[in-house]
Amino acid sequence: MREVQDLVGIAPWTFIAQICNLFIQMYLIKRFLFKPINAVLQKRKEMADAQLTDARKSKEEAEAMKAEYEQNMAQAKAEASEILKDAQKSAQTKAEAILQDAQAQAAGIKAKAEADIAQERKKAVGDLKNEIGSIAMDIAGKVIEREVSEDDHEKLINEFIKNVGEAS
Amino acid sequence: MNFDVTGAAVYFTIPTGIPILGDIQITETLVVSWIVMALITGLCIWLTRDLKVENISKRQALAEFLVEQANNFVRNNTGSRKFDKLIPFVAALFTTSVVSNLISLTGLRSPTADLSTEAAWAIVVFIMITGNKIKAGGFLGYLKGFTTPIAVMTPFNILSELATPVSMACRHFGNILSGVVINGLIYAALALASSALLGWLPGALGQILGSIPILDVGIPAILSVYFDWFSGAMQAFIFSMLTIMYIANAAEG
Repeated sequence: MREVQDLVGIAPWTFIAQICNLFIQMYLIKRFLFKPINAVLQKRKEMADAQLTDARKSKEEAEAMKAEYEQNMAQAKAEASEILKDAQKSAQTKAEAILQDAQAQAAGIKAKAEADIAQERKKAVGDLKNEIGSIAMDIAGKVIEREVSEDDHEKLINEFIKNVGEAS
Repeated sequence: MNFDVTGAAVYFTIPTGIPILGDIQITETLVVSWIVMALITGLCIWLTRDLKVENISKRQALAEFLVEQANNFVRNNTGSRKFDKLIPFVAALFTTSVVSNLISLTGLRSPTADLSTEAAWAIVVFIMITGNKIKAGGFLGYLKGFTTPIAVMTPFNILSELATPVSMACRHFGNILSGVVINGLIYAALALASSALLGWLPGALGQILGSIPILDVGIPAILSVYFDWFSGAMQAFIFSMLTIMYIANAAEG
């Protein structure tokens, strides 16, 4: 027959041992379950917090960049319109200058042409004068059948031509 | 056929000669307690192997779930985070109780089927309750608390104060012991019934079959769902719940 304790009763040493066991068990659970798990949970929480902070920071950065970009864009637009205006102005000035130039040139050409025409005409008149003179001399020679003195002729012809020129 | 329920077996006795406490007896209760502790600690170590912050394994998810449950259990029942340092204690109490109750399924004797175990736990809880009361209201306030609402009530107040650990210990012990007794009775009764039933068979066949307790297979398992599983888990839960609630109440003053 093996030795047994009472069914209902408190054995002093078992009682003490069980108190100790409870506290040992508490320590073991704390050491092997709660400590590592809580550490991991804490770490995860910190990580999530860090990520949140990061995200907020990135957002702020992005917004700053956007603002800067928009500012740059506006500036660029203003510059572009300035440049356009300048270009238009200078183009107009240039066009006007070219026009004036062209007008001046045209006037020059016209003047020269007129001068040329006048000279040609003068020359033609001179030529004609000589031609008519010699023809007249020939005719006159033939008519009078004698040689009229050159000097007289010259005088006569010039007079004649002068009359013709005035008539024409 | 005789059926008897005995206390924990004594494996080993160390004579000490100390009066009152007597000799140290290494009983079944203690040995199974150590097995339970080893199981729980082993489980904890196994659950918390290679913990990761991201991309966790199922095992780690379970461990985290258990810790969260313990945290929520204590925080919800006390309604604050003031008692966070009690979480490992309550967790130890609950786990030890559950595993001790359920270890009877393996055929070992539950450490909780020994009043010494529950008495030990209840005393620890009682000391914690008293300590919190004294901390909350001072020693005089604690003593004064016994005379409320009128001085005549003092003996009853003292009784009710002492009833707390006694009722806690006895409730848990009674439930587990009743499971042990009823399970033992059912096994014995079914063995008797099967031998009586099959003993009707003629000749040697009846003798052989009659000596095998066929009815013991299966039927007690159904009853064990209540007496071991449900009762075991329930009593552990009640004990932990009462512990945390008594301590929270005590700290409120």
